[in-house]
Amino acid sequence: MGVLRIGHASLKVMDMEAAVRHYENVLGMKTTMQDKAGNVYLKCWDEWDKYSVVLTPSDQAGLNHVAYKVEKDSDLNELQKKIEAYGIKTTMLPEGTMPSTGRMLEFKLPSTHVMRLYAMKEYVGTEVGTTNPDPWPDNRKGAGAHWLDHTLLMCELNPETGVNRVAENTKFMTEVLDFFLTEQVLVGPGGVIQAATWLTRTTTPHDIAFVGGQRNGMHHISFFLDSWHDVLKAADVMAKNKTKIDVAPTRHGITRGETIYFFDPSGNRNETFAGLGYLAQRDRPVTTWTEDKLWTGIFYHTGEAVPSFTEVYT
Amino acid sequence: MFDFRPKVNVSVVQTGETYPCAIGESLLQGMLRLGRKGIPVGCVNGGCGVCKVRILEGEISQLGPVSRAHVTLDEEACGYTLACRVGPVTAVRLEVAGKFEKPFSKGYAAQGGAPCLNN
Repeated sequence: MGVLRIGHASLKVMDMEAAVRHYENVLGMKTTMQDKAGNVYLKCWDEWDKYSVVLTPSDQAGLNHVAYKVEKDSDLNELQKKIEAYGIKTTMLPEGTMPSTGRMLEFKLPSTHVMRLYAMKEYVGTEVGTTNPDPWPDNRKGAGAHWLDHTLLMCELNPETGVNRVAENTKFMTEVLDFFLTEQVLVGPGGVIQAATWLTRTTTPHDIAFVGGQRNGMHHISFFLDSWHDVLKAADVMAKNKTKIDVAPTRHGITRGETIYFFDPSGNRNETFAGLGYLAQRDRPVTTWTEDKLWTGIFYHTGEAVPSFTEVYT
Repeated sequence: MFDFRPKVNVSVVQTGETYPCAIGESLLQGMLRLGRKGIPVGCVNGGCGVCKVRILEGEISQLGPVSRAHVTLDEEACGYTLACRVGPVTAVRLEVAGKFEKPFSKGYAAQGGAPCLNN
């Protein structure tokens, strides 16, 4: 019971046509639905629910909300009680608020990011089906991403004023939504400041991550690929499509992910990564990265700072 | 090198950098293509606001939408825009107004930029 995995991310885009082209041709997603408001819904080939990305027309970029799927409808009632008891207001959005989606429990994380939980989304199946399936379908475009895997949210962190939304979010996610911590960055004298955290509900190193910054925002949404070679191919796809690559293929120390970062046509950062890293289990000891090795954690090979990576986000 | 497209000069007030930018490419892309520095580089797609600049002289053309979270309509009327979303039509003189301005623009900021009548 409780949270299963990331369900979808709703993103603001400034040029819908360019955005759809990007998520279809570069990530390899397919449009499954459009609504009257002009929102476009897409899914990856290996996902079985109707959509995992929603694009909404806007005059700016950024995240509208991120949603996680829970196992049972009754989980929504139980979690609503727990979240309210923790002191966070919630709203139960009725079924049909989003098409093909059941009722959603909406609330704000301590960092003010909007999160939604839902139990039901229309099942449409993966593109290889469930009976004697092939390992992959023939019609994959672009990087051919398997699924939306996680998101990283930037959270206000100001040691001078004592504001640390990373630590507040982490406490909430672990105590109320029953996520567990896999890795963290500790900085400051004696490592007392929790400056970044990676948390999970599944068996992968992270289903959500929080990193400290000047303001709250969205750092990236990330999609899963099979192998290091698929990361290289994804980079080729980006060159062909003139996609702005932010960080060329490399490896993270944190989560061990093999990765490439890039921007959608509105400047929302995407990641495609490969490698499941390790088996994340609740009794696995938490990995800690120290202030002096922070950039080794981020970019393992060089260990060098790339300020734009932590300072540029929507 | 071996690039014969028509170009105009773009100069960055704070750093004194001047580079040739092809007409039709963005001010930021022109700088990036030459491996030059001066304007901070972010998403290069109009969303993050890091390459915010103010056009002081010269004519530009709009290449795509800029995030209203970073450039308001009032600011746009005062010449503010994102360097990744506009291209030069004539030679351009600009000042960096984005988030990374502090390390190298303190001296310039102290002198005060040109006032904006709309403000």
